[in-house]
Amino acid sequence: MTSALAHYLDVASRFHARDASAPEWLRRVRAEGLAHFERQGLPTSRDEAWKYTHLAPLVEGTFVPPEEARRAGDLAAVVDRLGLPGPRLVFVDGRLAPELSSLSGLPRGLTLKPLRDALREDGEVLEALVGQRALASEHTFTALNAALLEEGALLRLAPGTLSEVPVQLLFLTRGDAPVLASPRILVVAGESSEATLVETYASAGPGAGATFTNAVTEVTLEDNASLHHYKLQAEADAAVHVGGLHVRQGRDSRFASFAFSFGGVLSRNEVHSAFAGEGGEATLNGLYVGRGSQHLDNRTALDHAVPRCTSRELYKGVLDDRARGTFHGLIRVRPDAQRTDSRQQNRNLLLSESAQADARPQLEILADDVKCAHGAAVGRLDAQALFYLRSRGIPRAEAERLLTHAFAREVVDAVPAGPVREKVEGLLALKLPGAARREVRA
Amino acid sequence: MALLTVRNLHARVAGKDILKGIDLEVRPGEVHAIMGPNGSGKSTLASVLAGRDGYEVTQGEVLFDGKPLLELSPEERATAGVFLAFQYPVEIPGVGNLHFLRTALNAQRRVRGLEELDAMDFLQLAKEKSKLVKLDTAFMNRSVNEGFSGGEKKRNEVFQMAVLEPRLAILDETDSGLDIDALRTVAGGVNALRSPERGMVLITHYQRLLDYIVPDKVHVMAAGRIIRSGGRELALELEEKGYGWLGLKDGASTAVAAKGGEVRR
Repeated sequence: MTSALAHYLDVASRFHARDASAPEWLRRVRAEGLAHFERQGLPTSRDEAWKYTHLAPLVEGTFVPPEEARRAGDLAAVVDRLGLPGPRLVFVDGRLAPELSSLSGLPRGLTLKPLRDALREDGEVLEALVGQRALASEHTFTALNAALLEEGALLRLAPGTLSEVPVQLLFLTRGDAPVLASPRILVVAGESSEATLVETYASAGPGAGATFTNAVTEVTLEDNASLHHYKLQAEADAAVHVGGLHVRQGRDSRFASFAFSFGGVLSRNEVHSAFAGEGGEATLNGLYVGRGSQHLDNRTALDHAVPRCTSRELYKGVLDDRARGTFHGLIRVRPDAQRTDSRQQNRNLLLSESAQADARPQLEILADDVKCAHGAAVGRLDAQALFYLRSRGIPRAEAERLLTHAFAREVVDAVPAGPVREKVEGLLALKLPGAARREVRA
Repeated sequence: MALLTVRNLHARVAGKDILKGIDLEVRPGEVHAIMGPNGSGKSTLASVLAGRDGYEVTQGEVLFDGKPLLELSPEERATAGVFLAFQYPVEIPGVGNLHFLRTALNAQRRVRGLEELDAMDFLQLAKEKSKLVKLDTAFMNRSVNEGFSGGEKKRNEVFQMAVLEPRLAILDETDSGLDIDALRTVAGGVNALRSPERGMVLITHYQRLLDYIVPDKVHVMAAGRIIRSGGRELALELEEKGYGWLGLKDGASTAVAAKGGEVRR
């Protein structure tokens, strides 16, 4: 056993001893999580699914779950900067910060609860939800998350509920302690309901030390439900981030995922969606922007298990310095899934000689009447375009920034206009300095 | 003093000699037309003057306003007042046309020590200049040249020239591929920009352009050299007799010349 694995097993065992009063079902979930984690262990580069991922920052850190919540009122300014109008739960170093959270303005039919409260009040509901979409038996970090299950959120939409304002979950780390945060987010969108959920992960200072966030989100979309899910990951350069989003889509449901990965020395973002009813649509978009020695790893898996579903995927990467980006996109079309219409694109822009991108589309098509297209590209800035801009008087560095931002914009422009897009643009501008926003339309 | 002086210019591309001793002098206020068959080196001359990568100058010199031009970067040349209207304007998805042009104008103004234009002032300027080439404001808000027709791209080039107000404009086959209506619009825009301070070099394959923009001097280029220079009458003679008259082969031009064309003054 590696010392890192021993460390996390020890951490989880002590966690269980601390919270011995938990209900039996919860203790079982945690114990099973621990067992699955122990069996699977920490991944190594010999594991196919982690072959291209640089795991050292994770293995070398000795991250521990947060102690009792500290006062976080001093972070109000950070929350103002990153917060969206509308209801939100804020977590600091893995713990709910009630003084920064706000549940006013919740539309009728929408329930948003901190997981701690839900564990107390909605045991039966949670028991039926936890681990249904994200399987601890298959994903070792999901297992670790289950072993440490305590914080997170429950979002429920009654059938027909329409939420016009986005619901935000804001996860902040201070970076002054090697915290392991393990949020679990559970979403159930009832029939014909519609909502937007934004998960924001950011560093709040003052420290710039390493932290480890291991987030799991489980989403159930009932028939004809629609969810826009945004993940804005802009943690500090030293942060380790592992996230898994697991979705089950009912008949005629629409799911749009936007994964923006800007921060972290190591960021692994997984999106898994399975069609369980005909007529579903999934849109998976991603933008990863890395510099320094960042490693930004993306993995998507679409399971076309039933006929007549549509999926669209666009992941783009911008990599500078020695940064490395990975995209692995699996599309599985099962034998019964006729009339599947699936398209996947991954494009990478390298801004330095030492930057690197690995693009790995993987299609497993077992039905014959399907449309499946995929494309992957790794390239540099277009020399013709660069000359065109310079020939008008724009200095080289500025022209490069314009083109880089234009490349990244395609994903940002797919976000509907509004406060979420403004936040994304703001974070992107910080990441790609000097990149200007598009001119206001005349 | 001449605005542009080209002396014995030799240049090669990918190891192949293309320009083999070009001499050219353009004074402020003059419009020069450079004609010639395909492969004569016309566009190479334009690219070398604008500073495109991949062109190696092996001999000769170029002075702009009496100062060496070739040692400047493309953006420095633009700021000095050199403008190239591209034969094939580049599509740049994701970069708004207006934003691009304001960035360019302000970059030039910064170097010249002028105050930058804010978005509102610039929009006013752009609207006014766009009338010259009848470019709809809807086009100005789209990505640079993306999805533009051939005519729209060329009008966009002349629009940029109108906003940037260069001292020397080089128009590289701005007339190629245009319908007569589009050609009239583009030529109208170029004519409106003629001024006693500004020099222009029209590079063209077809004499038709010169029915709409009347040059002061006409040069015929072949095999990397200017083989003949003259006034407007040279273009007319070329139209009448075709490139074959000068011992040059060029199918396309002969066909145009044979068809004839209306002459306007």
